[in-house]
Amino acid sequence: MADQAHGVGGLTYDKSKRGWPNEANIFIALIIIIAIFEILGQVLPYMNGQSFLFDTQERFDSIFNEARLRIIILQVAIIGIISLGVTQVIISGGIDLSSGPLVGAAAMIVMSFAQTELVNGNPNPKAVFGDWAFDLPVLVPVIVGLCFGAFIGAINGSLIAFTRIPPFIATLGMFLICRGIAQWWTKGQPVSFPTESFAWLGAGMMPVVWFLLLAVLCHVILKYTVYGKHTYAIGSNEDAARMSGINVKRHKVMVYMIASMLAAFAAIILSSKNLTAQTGMGQFYELFAIAMAVIGGVSLTGGRGSIIGTVLGAMVFGAIQSGFTYIKLDAFYQLMAMGTIIISAVVLDQWRQQRAAAAA
Amino acid sequence: MKKLLLTAGLATLMGTTAMAETIGASIARFDDNFLTVMRNGMVEYAAGIDGVDLQVEDATDDVAKQLDQINNFIASGVDAIIVNAVDTSATEAMSQAAAAAGVPLVYVNREPINVDTLPDNQAFVASNEIESGTLAAFEACKLARAAGLAGGANAYLLMGQLSNQAAVQRTKDVDDVIGMDMCNFININDRQTAEWSRDKAQDLMTNWMSAGEDFDIVFANNDEMAIGAIQAMKSNGVSMEDVIVVGVDATQDALLAMQAGDLDATVFQDAFGQGEGSVDAALALARGEEVDQKVYIPFQLVTPANIDGFLSKN
Repeated sequence: MADQAHGVGGLTYDKSKRGWPNEANIFIALIIIIAIFEILGQVLPYMNGQSFLFDTQERFDSIFNEARLRIIILQVAIIGIISLGVTQVIISGGIDLSSGPLVGAAAMIVMSFAQTELVNGNPNPKAVFGDWAFDLPVLVPVIVGLCFGAFIGAINGSLIAFTRIPPFIATLGMFLICRGIAQWWTKGQPVSFPTESFAWLGAGMMPVVWFLLLAVLCHVILKYTVYGKHTYAIGSNEDAARMSGINVKRHKVMVYMIASMLAAFAAIILSSKNLTAQTGMGQFYELFAIAMAVIGGVSLTGGRGSIIGTVLGAMVFGAIQSGFTYIKLDAFYQLMAMGTIIISAVVLDQWRQQRAAAAA
Repeated sequence: MKKLLLTAGLATLMGTTAMAETIGASIARFDDNFLTVMRNGMVEYAAGIDGVDLQVEDATDDVAKQLDQINNFIASGVDAIIVNAVDTSATEAMSQAAAAAGVPLVYVNREPINVDTLPDNQAFVASNEIESGTLAAFEACKLARAAGLAGGANAYLLMGQLSNQAAVQRTKDVDDVIGMDMCNFININDRQTAEWSRDKAQDLMTNWMSAGEDFDIVFANNDEMAIGAIQAMKSNGVSMEDVIVVGVDATQDALLAMQAGDLDATVFQDAFGQGEGSVDAALALARGEEVDQKVYIPFQLVTPANIDGFLSKN
């Protein structure tokens, strides 16, 4: 790990001296991580020379182990969708801790409107509402979910913009409220057995498709619209943004609404992928989403970061998770290593910022 | 005889109407499916008995919080306490707190570490964990033999939370079964925790499959993880005819997966019965009656052959 940290640290971002984008550092880190697993696979005696990334058993048409490439991104796609919103919140100078529990609450609510009447010819044993709620068109649960997300986001944003309480506190409160809603909705019972059209939303590689589509969308609005410019402006210097005529309060509400709607959409995909909604869903998702953004170079002090960085940050996460299973590392070490990596990413980010400030 | 019946009747009447009894219950997690069925068993059963007031609290998987809840119950003068322990090795302090206050205490579902040294007015209601993992693993072994794999079979093992006694025991049960002469043809490719979760099991199974190793059996410490593994295998085009998947719990979702031909065996743990049993034991202890210190509610193996009897349970 130390070598790799050094390798990334040497390539600091200094716009005035060279046009080396920060995202390139993360991409290099991703390649280094994959290379480390590839080497470990060759070196560790119990791996029988298996390859991490390449197809050594001729199972696929290409030279790559396609199954590995798929799982690396599939397992981070859903949290990745959340981190697209979290990225915008952090760039605007805020933080959103409520996204994980929001996923749990939204999943429960969404799934209640997506249930099918008959399962293998039996009546649905997990029915939440009466007959009217069975086999609704797929748009109903999706719209219900997005509205719920928008509602929660509007509360988060309004609290932060109008009562001026710190985002950490407002969203921490919402964290607990959402976990409560998730448990209250069915008194803790899971909600299962969705319609086929709902199940399609998260089937197979669909989570990745949604993640990438939404990533492109968020990239465009952050980079090329007034909304994006204002988000960066508020995160860099809120007072300056206000004085230059930006409606900071309204904008903040919008940022939190978009973030919560993305989290609610992640809940739709998650419950569809698992064909069930459970109150405990989304545990730690808020932290992993923040970690992906931070690894992707989004600065927790606001004003800096990009969607491309966050997507790469998510892939780093995916590669590490898949790599740990590949080398059959025990769960205890996985947690320790994951924590170490997150801390190193923030330390590197701080260091990069200080160097940039010193150079300026 | 008549007189005896009369006194018995009177005694019951007095027991149920004259005294209102309050029971405080602390459940490890409200958002756990199995524990929710158990909790509902407690609540519904207590609601059906006159004069019994049951207060249920969520310990949110926090050992310290659970001990606080128990002390709060004692402070508010409940007649008995039911504990579904967050951490089965942290129960000594709870037993001591209740014993010092003279309040009866019943552990439910998870076996406390001090189960053999419980004070007189404390008891343990659960199913014997050794049965569950063994029943499922042995069924997998039999199915593998029947499928002609006795020459050698590869398996993956999905484990629950490693801090949980049931996960440790069910994993050990699998090891014990494949240690037997009859089943030692089974080789475990890898074992990892998916923390009881369907989503994590999906990702873990997909990761395993991406390594491309052969496998014939998937052992899961619970049904949710078994279903996650099944979903991952199906979306990777693995035919469920070729893989033996066994879980534990016999949840509704799992039984329907079994009906669809995906899950091969699971084990029914009577969650509702455990909830009822814990209320019974708590009431009996509160009334000063004799109670067995270990009340075992049996596990039952569920296969496609006997699934019909279980569809309406849990």
